[in-house]
Amino acid sequence: MKLRDKGLFAALVIAIYLACLPSLALAETLYVQAKTAQLRSGKTSLDTVVANLKYGDELEVLKRDGSWVEVRTTSGARGWIFANKLTASKPSGGSDTLAQLGRSMRRGEAAGTTASAGARGLDKTSEGYANRAGISQQDRDAVDRMTAYQLTDQEVEEFLKEGGLGEYAK
Amino acid sequence: MRNNISIAMSLFALALSFGSCAELQQAAEQAARQSGDERLARTIRGAGTLVAGLLPIGYEEESSIGQSIALQVVARYGGTVDDPQLVRYVNLVGRSVAATCDRPDILYRFAVLNHDSINAFAAPAGYVFVTRGLLKNVQNEAELAAVLGHEIAHVSQKHILEVIQRSKQIAGVTEAGLAYAGKNPEAFKSVIDNAVKKLLDEGLDQSKEIEADQLGDVFASRVGYDPAAYVTFLTRLRTVKGDDKAFFKTHPNFSNRIQAVQQTMSAKGLKTNGVLLAERFAQQGKRL
Repeated sequence: MKLRDKGLFAALVIAIYLACLPSLALAETLYVQAKTAQLRSGKTSLDTVVANLKYGDELEVLKRDGSWVEVRTTSGARGWIFANKLTASKPSGGSDTLAQLGRSMRRGEAAGTTASAGARGLDKTSEGYANRAGISQQDRDAVDRMTAYQLTDQEVEEFLKEGGLGEYAK
Repeated sequence: MRNNISIAMSLFALALSFGSCAELQQAAEQAARQSGDERLARTIRGAGTLVAGLLPIGYEEESSIGQSIALQVVARYGGTVDDPQLVRYVNLVGRSVAATCDRPDILYRFAVLNHDSINAFAAPAGYVFVTRGLLKNVQNEAELAAVLGHEIAHVSQKHILEVIQRSKQIAGVTEAGLAYAGKNPEAFKSVIDNAVKKLLDEGLDQSKEIEADQLGDVFASRVGYDPAAYVTFLTRLRTVKGDDKAFFKTHPNFSNRIQAVQQTMSAKGLKTNGVLLAERFAQQGKRL
């Protein structure tokens, strides 16, 4: 490369860098670090819900105010979210992909489990284990009930509200 | 024949690089077998199994492991307390904390063990236990939230799965142990029994206990509970437990734990103006 070309090349690199700079400097991205979260029209838990967000959703930060952050979702919705439900690091799906691969390579599915595993009692594998380990029916029933125990997100939300927890803090 | 072998090798290389591994690996194995190279076919199968054994455990497998360990915890700790109101309360506190932990996308469930010792346990896939004895030493909801947070952290950080993964590799158990549990239940039982021994008798590495203390308190604080409550609780346990050797076999000593939690509180800037909710806890605590 001639000296002149080198100069042009360097100028081009600097130009590209400068062109990228404003967007790098301005856009702060945060992610939802909670199972669910509400995007609200204002900075209190009494304000109306603009959108329901889920774990890992990407948000662009617009403004911060105390415990609340104004954000824009990737679909363009704009509102306020409680800061404790946000994280700067992207929740990783990497290990799950690897886990999927591991399972596929082990050429099987954990025997007897279905997509809704965890929602309804003991699966065949742990049933088999219980038989071999001589676990009593009473203890099996206890783990069965524990596995099937249901609480809705709404019930948890009510509980937080009653206790003045999370975004309901007084 | 040479062609078939190179096809087998290429397919296997592909299998190791892409997601549709099982099918490609099988095809490679088949191609090697058709070429008459049984040894290569076996190597491909063996290598695939070895790689699979090193890969992380998926949620369905984790769920079977968690349930099996939970069965042993319940069996060894006197069954569960089945007061519906108390079970609901502990699950509500636990679910509130779990919703803001670093792995909120799985289901967490909580139970009270009918046992007087002061203890708490977690099994993979979100099975969390506290003893009746522990609850009797808790004075407010913020303390309970941090205790549950500690156990949730063991699940979110996959501490027990790590132990299983390691023991599986040491024992040379790969496919037989988990996905093939139906076909080889004896190997599965040995993996579970080893994990239970580690969890209930020997204890996890002390660094994992400290990490669970620190993270658990951060999770509770994210919900709005006062993180200083956990320091108060650990200080109370230090007085109650003294130098209980059985307990310290499975946990670091209290002074180290308290110090680590205090360091986290200041390093993360956790605010100590959160809520304690002593009265809400007392209403449930009297049911014990």
